[in-house]
Amino acid sequence: MTRSHRVLHRMIWPVLAFIVAFGFALALGWRPPPEPAPAAQVEQPR
Amino acid sequence: MSVALRAVQWNRDKVVYDAILVSCVALYLALFLVIAWRVTPPKNLPDAIDLWIRATGSCAFLMLTVILSIGPLARLDRRFLPLLYNRRHFGVLTFGVVVTHALSMLAWYWTLDALPNLAAELTKWGDYGKFIGFPFKVLGMAALLVLFLLASTSHDFWLMFLTPRVWKFLHMALYVAYGLVVMHVALGIMQTVHSPLIPAMLVGGFGLVAALHLAAGWREHKLDRKMSAAGWLSIGPPSSIPDKGARVVTAPHGERIAVFRDGNQIGAVTNLCAHQNGPLGEGRIIDGCITCPWHGYQYRLADGCAPPPFTEKLVTYRVRVERGMVEVDPTPLPPGTPAAVIAT
Repeated sequence: MTRSHRVLHRMIWPVLAFIVAFGFALALGWRPPPEPAPAAQVEQPR
Repeated sequence: MSVALRAVQWNRDKVVYDAILVSCVALYLALFLVIAWRVTPPKNLPDAIDLWIRATGSCAFLMLTVILSIGPLARLDRRFLPLLYNRRHFGVLTFGVVVTHALSMLAWYWTLDALPNLAAELTKWGDYGKFIGFPFKVLGMAALLVLFLLASTSHDFWLMFLTPRVWKFLHMALYVAYGLVVMHVALGIMQTVHSPLIPAMLVGGFGLVAALHLAAGWREHKLDRKMSAAGWLSIGPPSSIPDKGARVVTAPHGERIAVFRDGNQIGAVTNLCAHQNGPLGEGRIIDGCITCPWHGYQYRLADGCAPPPFTEKLVTYRVRVERGMVEVDPTPLPPGTPAAVIAT
């Protein structure tokens, strides 16, 4: 790895990692709650 | 080095590497489908295609994770070097799995006679301003485009045509593709399927890649902090350089120099292999030649030239032994200049 390649690698990698980690955290935190399961059929008393 | 197209030069190691790789992919897909089929048996053809989409998608994510982990792993532990040997075929196979994933998605829409819905989904411009609800398929398509660019330029022809420096910069786009894939999953299936497996896969994969890069980066950083002052660089006594191995020093201008010893012959060359800028200083002297740990490219210690019929040449550095200490002049000599000395 050349010096310039190393410098670019060290600049880009943490920025990209932070953006992705932040985006993932938002996507996880803001995801809509699961849809409620359909109510189970209650057998009517005869 | 001439720029000419040569077919892939297969050897036994490459065939074994590729056979193991293809077997692992086939095994993963088979296991995924068998387990998923039992847990949620598909009711119709679109459901079956959906399982295949998930199998290829998760497989591609895991393959990308492994590919990005190979570099730092090989730096941290030499036992992982064999994984690096044919990493480009790994990348091309990953591209193949990603293409299968994309085609399966098209097949899913086609079987439901809903291809216009896909077009409508991608051209609903208002959704591009949202975070949750962003057209996540576009992120996957962007990753596919990057992977296509990397796969199509993976051959040595492009490496020589573009030069190793430009080629390496171009192939760093794999990190961008990985980020796009993580967000494609996070804004896509993770929003609708509430299984903890999906966040676990993303956190585990991304965390592994990040941790390995941090560990390898920290090791590299420590090496660069030992950067020497201008003038001849003192390496230490000849015995401080492992026989048939090297010590790597960082010159004041920031480039690294690999100082090799072969018995009592000592020579210094650039740490960059002429092939793919691999770390020569982590290689060994085999059959009298400096041998790159990545793909086995060889150079004579005396002058940094590849043995005939090969034509690659390395930058060399002047070496001297003063009062029992090996010293290196950090001023680079033209590639192929004889500069090694015999320590007495």
